[in-house]
Amino acid sequence: MRVGRRTFLKSSAAAGGALAGSRLLFGDLGTLEARGPESKLAYTEERLPTTCWLGKQDCGIIARRVDGRVVSLAGNPAHPRNKGTLCPKGVAQISAVYDPNRVKTPLVRTNAKGAPGQWREASWDEALGLVADKIKEIRAKDPTLILWQKGRSKQEAIYDTALVGALGATRVGHGTYCSDAGYRAAEYTIGAHGNGHPDFRHTRYVLSWGWNVTNAGGNKFCWITWNQQLVAARERGLKLVAIDPNLRGAGPFADEWLPIKPGTDLALALALCNAIIAQGTLDREYLVNYTNAPFLVQEDGAFLRAEGREQVWDEITASAKAFDAPGIKPALEGRVNAQGRNVRTAFQVFQEHVAQYTPEWAEPVCGIPAEQIRRVARELGQNALIGSTILLDGVELPYRPVSMMFYHMSQQELGFQASRAMFLVFMLLGASEAVGGLQVDTSWSVHSGFRSMENATVNNPPYSYTLSGSKFFPINSVNPGMIAKVILDPQKYEVNKLPEMAIVHMANVLTSFTDQPTMEEAWKKIPFVAVIDPWLSRTADLVADVVLPAATMEKYEGPIGAGDGYDDATVFRLPIMEPLFQSRGEMDIYLDLTEKAGRLTGSGGFLDRLNTVLSLKDPYKLELGAKPTVRDIFDRWAKSQGLTDGIRFFETNGVWNKGAVSPRKKYGYGQDPPFSGIRQRLYGEGLLRLQKEMQAKGAAQAYWRDYTPLPTWRPPTMWSSPPKYDLTLTSYKKIEFKQSRASQVALLAELAPEQRVAINPATARARGIQDGDTVLVESHNAVTGETRQIRAKAALTQTIRPDVVGMPHHYGGVARHPWTQGQGPTPNTLFFTGEGYVTNTADNTFHVRVRVEKA
Amino acid sequence: MARNGMVIELDRCQGCRACMEACKVENNTPQGNYWMYVFRLEEGEYPDTKVRFMPRPCMHCDNAPCVKVCPVQARFKNENGAVVVDWDKCIGCHYCVVACPYGVNYFNWKDPEKAQYLDWKDRALASVTGGAAPAYQNPDLMGRYGQERRRVAGGGHLKGVIEKCSFCVQRVEQNLPPACVAACPVQALHFGDLDDPNSDVSKTLSRKRSFRLKEELNTQPKVYYVGQSQPGARAHEIEAVKARR
Repeated sequence: MRVGRRTFLKSSAAAGGALAGSRLLFGDLGTLEARGPESKLAYTEERLPTTCWLGKQDCGIIARRVDGRVVSLAGNPAHPRNKGTLCPKGVAQISAVYDPNRVKTPLVRTNAKGAPGQWREASWDEALGLVADKIKEIRAKDPTLILWQKGRSKQEAIYDTALVGALGATRVGHGTYCSDAGYRAAEYTIGAHGNGHPDFRHTRYVLSWGWNVTNAGGNKFCWITWNQQLVAARERGLKLVAIDPNLRGAGPFADEWLPIKPGTDLALALALCNAIIAQGTLDREYLVNYTNAPFLVQEDGAFLRAEGREQVWDEITASAKAFDAPGIKPALEGRVNAQGRNVRTAFQVFQEHVAQYTPEWAEPVCGIPAEQIRRVARELGQNALIGSTILLDGVELPYRPVSMMFYHMSQQELGFQASRAMFLVFMLLGASEAVGGLQVDTSWSVHSGFRSMENATVNNPPYSYTLSGSKFFPINSVNPGMIAKVILDPQKYEVNKLPEMAIVHMANVLTSFTDQPTMEEAWKKIPFVAVIDPWLSRTADLVADVVLPAATMEKYEGPIGAGDGYDDATVFRLPIMEPLFQSRGEMDIYLDLTEKAGRLTGSGGFLDRLNTVLSLKDPYKLELGAKPTVRDIFDRWAKSQGLTDGIRFFETNGVWNKGAVSPRKKYGYGQDPPFSGIRQRLYGEGLLRLQKEMQAKGAAQAYWRDYTPLPTWRPPTMWSSPPKYDLTLTSYKKIEFKQSRASQVALLAELAPEQRVAINPATARARGIQDGDTVLVESHNAVTGETRQIRAKAALTQTIRPDVVGMPHHYGGVARHPWTQGQGPTPNTLFFTGEGYVTNTADNTFHVRVRVEKA
Repeated sequence: MARNGMVIELDRCQGCRACMEACKVENNTPQGNYWMYVFRLEEGEYPDTKVRFMPRPCMHCDNAPCVKVCPVQARFKNENGAVVVDWDKCIGCHYCVVACPYGVNYFNWKDPEKAQYLDWKDRALASVTGGAAPAYQNPDLMGRYGQERRRVAGGGHLKGVIEKCSFCVQRVEQNLPPACVAACPVQALHFGDLDDPNSDVSKTLSRKRSFRLKEELNTQPKVYYVGQSQPGARAHEIEAVKARR
């Protein structure tokens, strides 16, 4: 063959000439070398089911393994959430699983914190011993001073509940940077745990409210599931209205675009409520029977009660009656005198409250024409089909095919009340938990927060470092950034005990969380930090005392929910190979760690708690005296569930499909009684009570002002930055990256190699900025006057409002990696935490005023 | 024997580039080489802006200009209609690059192992993978395919050869769709026999109006686009992927 090639070249002047030229350009050519050996295609091939490790929704994967080496990851067709497909992250993560830049052994820091780490390799025994000794030392004083900081735990029952419970530690999540303001609003208003998504199989009209359709998320799921459902719904004629300062995410799927000014979603929602009331498209039956809209409100804002029961105005007897008295016809509107007091129905209060928020009022606030707001309200009213029902599986249910998708947009200063107002839009239309309507979770259940928030108390100091139950945040999502503020100034927050060690689980505190300079300062002060991570995260590099190398997807982890809201299933993450290098799965790490810390065995230990959280049944309960293997624990779980093959069922089949979700389980209306008997909260009496208690305990106005019974507009704090900070920065995700575990994936980093600041061409032109120019972005804190700066390249785009700039997240999370070098800054450097930049529930905003100039 | 083609539903495509990544992993193409490429396009002025996405594999033309100019018959159309490169025969002369109006040919500028993203020869890793570069190296790519049993599968074989989309010959022979088609999260990509009226591609084409790229050149591409019209002349690319230096 080689001879043949050379013979040909000699006879072909043209080709020879081309080759000669080419050789000058790039040296020796493979074409002139001996070709590779003849193929040897005899191999042993296996197809192993497992679950995606990168994303949030844990898509089903089939790994193709050839002679023991995994060559590709493909979607598992049996998995309801991804149905045989994968997103770019799911496909590309094979290059990360085998990444030679992973942390290969346990590491112990040999230099001072705050600078890039210098390390010595340690044995697992030594590294775990260091961490366990600290746990023992601190537990002897006060176990809550162990801070367990997670990003995404991937198994809440086992890690968040059983492990944290066994250690007695304080669990802190990342939700205040995600969507927790929406969670709190939903739990309080609707009674369920989530933000909001459409019942896509039945809906006709959807507000894509900050939904970054083609790039990320949506409520509950990570990506693929919603996009499959959206595409199918659009082919049935769905209309999608995008409400977003930036069109890039909704892209071609936006039938209409409302380019809203950042931070004004509350104003828009109130204007929609105003227009819906004005046009009279109200679901009165729902409002009267399933919300607190007919409850009578006294002049002091509290409900009128008799014998502890909230009163309504009965139109039959023209008198006040308990809301649940039989045979009454409660009035929705009206002012009456009852029990000698002037009272109004909660709906009447709401109607009078939103009278000021007309679409014309909202136009300059939101930057959206009043006529467009009215048209959307009209189309919502028309498409809601109020009064209609639909038969599903023999069950007749209200049919209200209007909805919204909203998730991360809840993280803005007024996010809790904005989310509440958005729910109220759909409550007026009766679309809450109706078929085709707005769903908060994939099936209905009443969350404990529905009652606990209404009954929350404001305690006296000293407060815990999480500020839970404090006069600052009586409803508190627990913001790691506020913990950092507390660490740096405990007196201000009336806290007397600070965390003495932190265990970081699948989180990258110093990249993924806001207010980076504050975070770095605070975390340097935490005396001992252990980071569990497959890579040397920036957090590990700067502040870890010990780094424990975690496996990526090559481990046992579960059980993991795999339903798509219509079909239910359960899966596990299963090891498609031995953990690479010296890495280990988190479960293995925690079994050994709790053993060394004396918290594995015995009553209240890790094993005891695993029996509880996994609902292990006799004879499959774990013995409290002996350390099991991880596989054995999950084998017992599967057998407790009635799968006689145990974990082998999953190792063989991948997915445990449980069939269709019944409408009786899925919809709030499907329950008996509907909504499990709760009254969804139009009016938040408890919020007003909390406001008064906060005032009585001396909390500053910044903390109590948004504890109002009805969502109430005020200009966001950032608007009082000086006029030279004339642009608002927003942030978003890219489809290529997920949290802090994707920007180092070589194949993904190649697609989106560096940070870019999205800027409208008109805005750029006025500043002499051209596409690709390096720009300086400086943010300003309107409360403290602090400023922060980053430099990055500009990307000019007509998809963004001229008064807004945008930056994607997740760059630069991994230290010393060939594919993260030069990725540029995270926008988290520019965002602030603290007064004016968190919600009344301690949730963080991702909005800030900035100025941008050519660098 | 089939006349395989692809139908791309532009009104489903999310521009996510999962197809590009699935292709890279399946075919082990070197850095910067995208046999499947997804254009992200922007058109119009704020607020009347349009965003659109457009996947672009090789068009596998029935009247392929690249086949005609190949001086060594490395480029040919196989019995299933796929235009493929015999990387054993290619001399890297670039004639196909010049002849192709679609820009789908990629030259291996570097020693392929040096253009495979990471140091796969790392000692601790190689002790597990046997030094495969990339670690996820697909053994099927060394195989011989089609009636002529030629080596036409995969990429990154040799420095100095031209490689391109093969419609995943190694998968099609096992009755699997190309990797890009299999991965697409929203089933925007369809693959099958254009001559079979019952194939997925034929049925999709009969449902929706289609266009092909540069039809006026009479290349007779076997990749059809449905669901949207052609991008306008003022559409420009955003978020382009460029080879890393």
